[in-house]
Amino acid sequence: MTLNWSGKRRWIALVLVLASLVVMFNWPPVVPVIQLPGEIYPAGEVFGLPITNTFVGSMVVWIVILLLIRVVSGRRPRDGGEVPRGGFYNFFEMAFEGLYGFIGGIAPERYLGPIFKMFMTIFILVLLSNWLHLIPGIDSIGFLHPHVHKVEGHYELLDGFDLATLGGVHYLNGQCPWVSPEAVATMSDEALQARADAGCLSGIPAAEAADDHADEAADDDHGEEIDYHHLEPGDPAVPWVILPYVRVPSTDLNMTLAFALIAVVMIQVMGFRALGISYLTKFFNFSTLFKSPLGGIDVAVGLLELIGEMAKILSFAFRLLGSMFAGSILLFVISFLLPVIAPWPVFLLEFFVGLIQAIVFGLLTAIFMSLATVSHHHDEEHHEEAAAGAH
Amino acid sequence: MEEAVVVAGKAIGAGLAMVGALGGGIGIGLAVGGAVQGMARNPDHTGTIQTNMILGVAFAEAVAIYALVVSLIILFVLS
Amino acid sequence: MEALGINLGYLLIQIIAFIVIYVLLTRFVYDPLIAVLRDRRTRIQRGLEDAEKAANARMNAEAEAEKVLQQARNEAQGIVDEARGRGEEVAQQVQQDARAEAETIRNDARLAAQAERDAQLAGLRGQVAAISIAVAQQLIGASLDDTRQQALINDFFAKVPDSARTLSGDVTVVSAMPLDDAEQQKVQEEIGADSVAFEVDPSILGGLIVRSADQVVDGSVRSGLGEMSQHLG
Repeated sequence: MTLNWSGKRRWIALVLVLASLVVMFNWPPVVPVIQLPGEIYPAGEVFGLPITNTFVGSMVVWIVILLLIRVVSGRRPRDGGEVPRGGFYNFFEMAFEGLYGFIGGIAPERYLGPIFKMFMTIFILVLLSNWLHLIPGIDSIGFLHPHVHKVEGHYELLDGFDLATLGGVHYLNGQCPWVSPEAVATMSDEALQARADAGCLSGIPAAEAADDHADEAADDDHGEEIDYHHLEPGDPAVPWVILPYVRVPSTDLNMTLAFALIAVVMIQVMGFRALGISYLTKFFNFSTLFKSPLGGIDVAVGLLELIGEMAKILSFAFRLLGSMFAGSILLFVISFLLPVIAPWPVFLLEFFVGLIQAIVFGLLTAIFMSLATVSHHHDEEHHEEAAAGAH
Repeated sequence: MEEAVVVAGKAIGAGLAMVGALGGGIGIGLAVGGAVQGMARNPDHTGTIQTNMILGVAFAEAVAIYALVVSLIILFVLS
Repeated sequence: MEALGINLGYLLIQIIAFIVIYVLLTRFVYDPLIAVLRDRRTRIQRGLEDAEKAANARMNAEAEAEKVLQQARNEAQGIVDEARGRGEEVAQQVQQDARAEAETIRNDARLAAQAERDAQLAGLRGQVAAISIAVAQQLIGASLDDTRQQALINDFFAKVPDSARTLSGDVTVVSAMPLDDAEQQKVQEEIGADSVAFEVDPSILGGLIVRSADQVVDGSVRSGLGEMSQHLG
């Protein structure tokens, strides 16, 4: 596929820019709710687990990986055939070969297989997760959800937006911050008129029927509970927010922490596999305690190594989470402030950040696994190992 | 009023937490600068230098990202 | 923990999903692809080796061809040389034949010329005898008996010197005039040699010169005149 900008494609791009301008002025974008835990679907729980949109994102990634497996194993040349089997397969094989050589330069030859497979699995999973927020609609299209917060047994209303309706479809009106019915009563006529001109529903004097309901709701705030999970969409009594259908899974601590745990556990497994039980002397080094005046330092260094392993878990988990979550917020905010051209370079930046974070996660795992296969306390063993690797 | 003070405190705290990114930025700059010099003087070892550079950059970046995570937690998790 | 969104169920689900994906990718992607890469590397290695072998074979074939060519060239050279030698031989043969033929022709011609001369001299002899008798008659004024005269002349021409009678072996007799058969017979008998060859040399004027392998007996008039002139001189 060649990019050809001399034809009608640039006109398509121009039309899209103009269309986004029209959308920006008529239906201004809103900032989605920013929260660290995955937003919970209103549909409820499955097997005791509330479904979160980050989990849905994970499932999207898994499905993409299954498709990848299907395509690659279907297109793979059989019986030693060398005829190219399609562009994607060739690209994948090229990347695979390049990464195999890359890891081959880091890992000891003997353990190249498991280290490379670990690296590649982490790389593919993290890369696809990170790149998910480059797809339009992910992180930005979702349910309308009443924005309430349960505090000490009762619900509190939080900041949100008014709803508007277009062709039977409700959407958030970015020009209308939600105001409570009590606040509407104290507003000046000009302010109310401005709100009405902007098409806002809550606080409009004409909406008498809704007003009664709102009063009821306001009264009920301190008495009986409103069923906030079964509100009709468009009810002006509560503020509304968007709950995205799919969110990038690497902005959920569950995924990054799971990967970090797997990585650190596999590093220890690799250490035990290469060095046997003597791998433990890296952490509990009492051999020099009574022989050398500095033996106590070795013990302390070993304990620090142990703490370092724990720190690796947090380091792995929060590095990925932090850069991806910050990237998501950056995309929200830029899209909210200036939705037309400004997000393009940010999308490009996020493309590279996603790639680099995936490489760093996998590469650090591979490097730590390689380091775990060599003994630091017995240098002669190290040299033997290196010599064995060289042959 | 009380809520406004809380929001202001959160914002100030998050901003102060991000000062920690300073060290990470300086560290990454030093690491990459040294690595590029090394590569320029010794192009044969570009691969090894690059690997170690990425490792070092990742460690330095981790500190900045901890600061970022702390600031994000202050902003979006603390209630 | 809840504020951070950590949920033990999701943590376990993510870990299990990771393991399942690891197993699937290893089974269907990594192992086959690594095998493909290894196969390809060995095939390229083998291809390079084959190419080297082919290059060697080609070099050998070229050397072989060069050798065959050289051999053929040598053979051709040999054939040409042989042909040239044979041609020269034939040419020499032809030349020799021609020379020999020329020689025989020349000999024949010489013999014929000799015979002709002999015949003429033989014819001349009679006239010379008659002239000399007539000159002698005039000189001495007395006529001689014809028969005695003839004998005298014959003696003049065909008298074998006395010392020649001791000669033996192959003998050559030189006379001023050709001798007839009877005279030749008589000379041979007088010399007593095995074989006698007769030559004619008018410059000796008369008498005979008898030559054997190692001796010459000069009974010619010329030598007699020479001695006389010495004595007179």
